[in-house]
Amino acid sequence: MMRRKAVGNRLKQPAPRVSERAPRTRLSLASWRDQHLYSLFSSLGRLAAKPWGTALTALVMGLALALPLLFLVALDNARSLSGGWQDAREITVFLKPDRDAASAKALAASIAARADVAGVKQKTPEQGIEEFRAMSGFAAALDVLQFNPLPQVLIVMPRDPPGASDPSVLADLQANPGVDLVQYDAVWRRRLGAILGFAQRVVAVLAALLALATLLVVGNTVRMDIATRGEEISVMQLIGASTGFVRRPFLYAGLWYGLFSGFAALLIVFGVEALLAAPVRQLLDSYDHRFDLRGLAPQFALGMPFASAALGWLGAMLATARHLAEGHPE
Amino acid sequence: MIRFDQVTKRYPSGHEALHELSFELESGEMAFITGHSGAGKSTLLKLIGLIERPTRGNVTVNGQNLGAMRRRAVAQVRRGVGMVFQDHRLLMDRTVYDNVALPLIIAGVPRDDAAKRVRAALDKVGLLDRERAAPITLSSGEQQRVGIARAIVGKPAVLIADEPTGNLDPQLSAEIMQLFVEFQQVGTTVLVASHDLMLVKRLGKRVLVLGNGRLLDDFRPGVAA
Repeated sequence: MMRRKAVGNRLKQPAPRVSERAPRTRLSLASWRDQHLYSLFSSLGRLAAKPWGTALTALVMGLALALPLLFLVALDNARSLSGGWQDAREITVFLKPDRDAASAKALAASIAARADVAGVKQKTPEQGIEEFRAMSGFAAALDVLQFNPLPQVLIVMPRDPPGASDPSVLADLQANPGVDLVQYDAVWRRRLGAILGFAQRVVAVLAALLALATLLVVGNTVRMDIATRGEEISVMQLIGASTGFVRRPFLYAGLWYGLFSGFAALLIVFGVEALLAAPVRQLLDSYDHRFDLRGLAPQFALGMPFASAALGWLGAMLATARHLAEGHPE
Repeated sequence: MIRFDQVTKRYPSGHEALHELSFELESGEMAFITGHSGAGKSTLLKLIGLIERPTRGNVTVNGQNLGAMRRRAVAQVRRGVGMVFQDHRLLMDRTVYDNVALPLIIAGVPRDDAAKRVRAALDKVGLLDRERAAPITLSSGEQQRVGIARAIVGKPAVLIADEPTGNLDPQLSAEIMQLFVEFQQVGTTVLVASHDLMLVKRLGKRVLVLGNGRLLDDFRPGVAA
């Protein structure tokens, strides 16, 4: 409340005798509230008196805060995209071209009998070419082909618990003489996971750096406020204002700057989302609607103003601690 | 109420503003400090307001030894001492009312109570009808009266003023000094630094004459008359 830290080496001096101590007037809750309301509104009035300067500061901070949020949104979407792929655990087995449907069926049955295989689907070259025709848009080009170049394909669903290790059926399939190629995307998937993890860390580091930048922006703004109001501060100190009282309007100013910048950041993020929504959706449509575009998570949108207000308060705290020490004897 | 005991003040520059100065001011007493410029008048008042600390000796105000005051307690001490400055030191971006109310807000006086006391203080200095005015629109004499209202609104036991009439013409100066006399009459201890010897003499109060940081004369009208 009204308490503040005793500063530095003054603590080492012996405490004065009780009779010499200043009479300490305890503030009632009502006057404490009055003092805070006074600081709250006087700081707000001061910011409103210079709307452009305030808006500019809030915007600079808002941009710095919006960047990590935008990265976060991008990362979130990349993760949901890769999540769709990671579900695809099946192993695609391309048989040698000389194998016919009957031998493929026999192989499928023998694989399906294994304990570690959940199921096997057979895809004939005819089915394959139909699928290709439907999906790729190369229907006209396929019509030119004299024969069907596609081999017999088996799609094997391994039963292994999902994890880092490859399913045991993989090695057996690769060793089978009738098999031409086994496609299993585990390595690639693991690499993607690592890339996403790395990106997540990058976003976190970037967010920390940009939060530091906003801290410095607030600190510097408050420092300049203190410099331009030096006369007022010294008058207040002369008529008995405690350091806490003098500091409080600046802390509230920092809080306001933080809060405004939080809203500015949200506006920027929502604006960018709106601007990018149409082209991104177009891009996704070409990918066969495999996943949906996600916006900023609501908990981040709600938390942002609080976090930025706290940042503003902290920045002002650092600036006042550094620059309000004057005005007292010795 | 105010006691200086062998007080010496030497500034870091080496200049000795006060040299082993001793005097005592009773509670409710009023005195002027005069002397040539640089005699130590301002330094003396600064020691009372804890703007400076003595190099040697003790300053006691209101029974409290200021030398023992910790930094935390400085603000509290200053609330018990009303200070009037030559250049008023008003906050120009606030109304007369807000300027006068500031010490009460700082002290945490409830709002309703504060409003009454601000009006009483403004009434006392004859500026009740100007409470919404900006200080910049007031004359120099009026600004000084706002400064005085701010100094006395917290009902301090001690009122100190450093050349409060320095920038005013004789007529206004006399009015301002008369205000200080009135505050003494209601029990405040008043100490005013002034180089306006004619005016000081006319008021018939105790006069401390400083020269080169030493007390040259302690003139008490009752004794001299």
